[in-house]
Amino acid sequence: MLTIENTSRRRVRDYERERHAPSKKAGGRRKINFSLLNIGKGIDMPFVFLIFILLAIGITMMFSASYPVAYYEIGDSYYYLKRQLIFALVGLVVMIAVSFVDYHYYHRFAAVILGISYFALMLVLILPSQEGDVHRWIGVGMFGIQASEISKFAIILFMAHWGSRYYDRMDTFKFGVLPGAAVFLSTALLLLFEPHYSCIVIIGILTVVMMYVSGIKLKWLAIGAAILAVLILLLWVTGMLTYAMERMDGWGQALNEDLDRDMWNATWQTRNSLYAIGSGGLFGLGLGQSRQKYLYLPEPQNDFIFAIVCEELGLIGAVIILLIFALLVWRGVIISLRARDRFGKLLGIGLTCHIGLQVVLNILVITDWLPNTGISLPFFSYGGSSLLTLMFEMGVILAVSRTSNIEKS
Amino acid sequence: MGANQKLRRRTVWLLIIILALGFGAVITRLAYLQLVQGEELQRRAIEQQLSDTPISAKRGTIYDTKGKILAQSASVWRVVMAPAYFDDGADGDAQRAFVASRLASILGLDEAELLEDTKQNTYYVSVKRRIESAEKEQIIELQNELSEKYHKSGIISLLDDYKRYYPYSDLASSVIGFTGSDDQGLWGVEYQYNDYLAGTPGRIISAQNGIQTEMPFDYNQNIGAIDGSSLVLTIDETVQSIVEKYMKQGVVDNEVLERGVCIVMNVNTGEILAMASVNGFDLNDPFTILPDQKKEIEAIDLEYLIKNDYFEEDEDPYKISDAKKKELIERAQNEAESAALARNWRNKAISDTYYPGSVFKMVTLSMALQEGVVNSSSRFGCSGAFQLYEDTIHCHNTAGHGTQTYQECLWNSCNPGFIQIGQLVGKTKFWEYYQAFGFSDKTGIDLPGESEDQFFVHDGIEGNMLDTDLAVASFGQNFSITPIQMITAASAVANGGKIVQPHVVKQIIDNEGNVVKNASTETKRQVISESVSKEMCGIMEENCATGSGKNGYVAGYRIGGKTGTSEKKVDANKNGVEDDYIASFCGFAPANNPQYAALVFFDEPVGGNYYGSAVAAPVFASIMSEVLPYLEVVAQYTDEEASNIDTATGAYTGMSVEDAMAAAERDGFSVTVKGEGSTVVSQNPATGTSIPTGGTIVLYTDESSTAETATVPNLIGFSVSEVNSIAASYGLNVSVTGTVSASDSTSVSQSVPEGTEVAPGTVITVTFSSGGIAD
Repeated sequence: MLTIENTSRRRVRDYERERHAPSKKAGGRRKINFSLLNIGKGIDMPFVFLIFILLAIGITMMFSASYPVAYYEIGDSYYYLKRQLIFALVGLVVMIAVSFVDYHYYHRFAAVILGISYFALMLVLILPSQEGDVHRWIGVGMFGIQASEISKFAIILFMAHWGSRYYDRMDTFKFGVLPGAAVFLSTALLLLFEPHYSCIVIIGILTVVMMYVSGIKLKWLAIGAAILAVLILLLWVTGMLTYAMERMDGWGQALNEDLDRDMWNATWQTRNSLYAIGSGGLFGLGLGQSRQKYLYLPEPQNDFIFAIVCEELGLIGAVIILLIFALLVWRGVIISLRARDRFGKLLGIGLTCHIGLQVVLNILVITDWLPNTGISLPFFSYGGSSLLTLMFEMGVILAVSRTSNIEKS
Repeated sequence: MGANQKLRRRTVWLLIIILALGFGAVITRLAYLQLVQGEELQRRAIEQQLSDTPISAKRGTIYDTKGKILAQSASVWRVVMAPAYFDDGADGDAQRAFVASRLASILGLDEAELLEDTKQNTYYVSVKRRIESAEKEQIIELQNELSEKYHKSGIISLLDDYKRYYPYSDLASSVIGFTGSDDQGLWGVEYQYNDYLAGTPGRIISAQNGIQTEMPFDYNQNIGAIDGSSLVLTIDETVQSIVEKYMKQGVVDNEVLERGVCIVMNVNTGEILAMASVNGFDLNDPFTILPDQKKEIEAIDLEYLIKNDYFEEDEDPYKISDAKKKELIERAQNEAESAALARNWRNKAISDTYYPGSVFKMVTLSMALQEGVVNSSSRFGCSGAFQLYEDTIHCHNTAGHGTQTYQECLWNSCNPGFIQIGQLVGKTKFWEYYQAFGFSDKTGIDLPGESEDQFFVHDGIEGNMLDTDLAVASFGQNFSITPIQMITAASAVANGGKIVQPHVVKQIIDNEGNVVKNASTETKRQVISESVSKEMCGIMEENCATGSGKNGYVAGYRIGGKTGTSEKKVDANKNGVEDDYIASFCGFAPANNPQYAALVFFDEPVGGNYYGSAVAAPVFASIMSEVLPYLEVVAQYTDEEASNIDTATGAYTGMSVEDAMAAAERDGFSVTVKGEGSTVVSQNPATGTSIPTGGTIVLYTDESSTAETATVPNLIGFSVSEVNSIAASYGLNVSVTGTVSASDSTSVSQSVPEGTEVAPGTVITVTFSSGGIAD
């Protein structure tokens, strides 16, 4: 049992450390040698190892899933593989580079980056829409990035910044709840216009997670949950929920045999995803043996890639991959907890959580437990900007581990 | 608690929530989908991944006993549609409308229905079966238009299909039967042997991707269609044609209202060589009624409606609205058309029951002989009527036949005589024999629609007869049976007492030519002894030579037979209603060693005479006169017939004119030479044709001369010598048959109708009959 005196002394020490962090970190950065020989120095090797494994499996499966589509639609079976390999290589470079960057820079620019994310969210609304009449992308093709990717990072960063800066006032409503709620609601409002509902869900969960870890009072979480429950109940009572669920492209309807043509088409991707998953059984059809990727499952290289993984590798393969993800999350949390300062801890936990959340939500979508709303699977789904963003985030986590390890030594 | 510690603790909680709740849920869900629902999902996946195209099996061929094709399937096409390939939205609607309207105009289908079909979300909709090559070409054009206009392929495809074709159109129509729109047998042997004929449709199963082109890896499975087995019938096309020719003639000549039936059966094997219900229907167009029927139906008017009770009692037929009248007439027409179709299809030979009448006397006499209740000393008196309690039963000869032996009873076809014979047999025995001869059961012939007999019994107990029942039954008026039952019983009388199983299919041959099934002769039981059968044959032969059956006599053949005239309504006379009659004749040949039996049956002849001896017997004789030589039954002529005896023509073709003339004259023919050449290039009749001695042989010496024809004159209503002289004057040959020895023999039919153009020297068969027999 710690005494109150002890606790308050530690608080003061932490606070002081936070306040002087920039200058201290400048010194810390000098300790980092940019020589290639020092690439591995200080960073968490198990975490890197897990990233490489996931990347290798992910690219292999992405190739397996994509080559029929690439062949039929583009005429080059290797189209997606070649690009993804380039993205992965660039991503690795980015990751390593970022791992050398002192993460305390983000601390300083947290508010700025949040501002940029708002700007990006507003910019996409005035830019021309993409397929499906949504406003999500800035830039085009290989150089495009989803504004929401910036938002997710910005909010994690801001919440980590706020939670470490006012760590002793997080149990108040004003510091603990209000800023997070304000940031979330404002971002969510902008995302509503894109629209990008799944991102609202992710950002919402991430905000709550950051608040929770930062130490807000549990009663606020309980109140939040109660409000949400009342809201849902209200929607349900007024019949709005049923209506909304129907509007969500036939969510939960994919296996219904008695669908009209529009509904059938709307649930096409989910249905074929379920067919693919079910076809895999325990052991799968074997690597490369998926049949559903032959133009039945649209865009098998994107959000629904894990359905093909399940079809080819079976439940066993899927569970092994999920375990590797779990290990990655676990390791990410270990790294975060080992960080020397509160900001590093919160940042690491937020980013790690993001990955875990992304994996879980992705699979809930492809198994028709969540509506089909475009959540990619980290390391697996094809796409330059999402992979680069991901590798950047991995780089930040590695930077946290490198900084803490070097400081320790 | 320190902030860091709180953070650490909360992080651990968070980790647990993410891993246990999140990953746990995900893995549970995947396990459920892959292990529990896996099979079902995989089935549905495979269902869409595999394209399953049916391949029609070719229906087996139906042959006659000599291998002539009676029914055959020819290659045509089936149009199918995959409406799932239409685009969504406005483009798709335009495509659908285009396809529906084009298909409607090419295939003559309903456009609105087609449009509904195009909205289905499937890959297989059968649009139309059995299209011919002209339509097929237009469909291919439509496919091209679709790919040019909309860049769509695969929406419309053509698959192999088969169409049933019957080369002899209406021949043996009620026996062969026909098939429905899905190639399924609906009637006749087509129905009865559908399982053999149909074969097994095949499937092409191929793996295909989402745009329905084949997958790159080998996933094709071709389950070939197994073509149906073929049937060889016992029906002989030649015999059937002869039968139908004379039956049609008989129906016309005797103004038969309810069609005619003829069965020709091998008495020893039960093989049916011919079975005709005339008029039948066109097998290639079974759902179209005959032109006469159509005319009648079109003529349906108010009077018809009144006559056929189309009005309620309180309705005044003359005061109904035009709309109502039109509706009623339409209804009446539809009903009449259905009735006409059913009537045409009906196989009267097995579906109709009738009172066999005097024909049955051969069965009654067989019973009596077998039971030994009659012998050479038995005498049966006939005073023209028989008094039984308060009923008076008349004989057709109202003057009476006097005292007769049992043979004379049959020859005279004497009803009182048979009442007495029946009484000797007794009710119990009669009923036993009735069953033993097979009248109480269906024969089990391999055709659909066989009816059961109806034996009128008292107290509702089978076989429980009163004396009057037995009396009437003994001359075939107390029960109705089918023609097939009658000829089966008659065959037993002739063949040594064996009830054989009648059948129409001789052999089933699978698509590779292996015999699947051979119909063997199936003897059900011995009903009378061989000696009784032999005696019966003798009595019946004599009947055809000098007795009531003599109009069934065929020159040169030992025919045994019995006439029959039956009333259709037993108690008609009592109620003062005019009776309808069935004229029949059942006989067999040769009487010394019976091989073939034939039953001729005309339902309601109203052409003046309704007696079996006058209506049915001559037709029987005409049929047998052609059928027996064809079946190579050896002719044995009596001395009287020697003058009319036929000689086979020799081969004169290829000889010089002089040599040929000499040879033909040596053979006993008179010769006519046509043409200017020096060598005989062809002759008529052809080599081996039987023509009467002294007949005319025409020798052609150049090809142009063969174009000459002679017009067939009327040969009906003359004596034998008159017919011979008329024919000779036209340069034609005559083959006579029927009752030629009687003084009052007159010709009743000719094999080639009057007015037909034929080559000189053609042989025309003329049937003679003698009047004065009222049975």
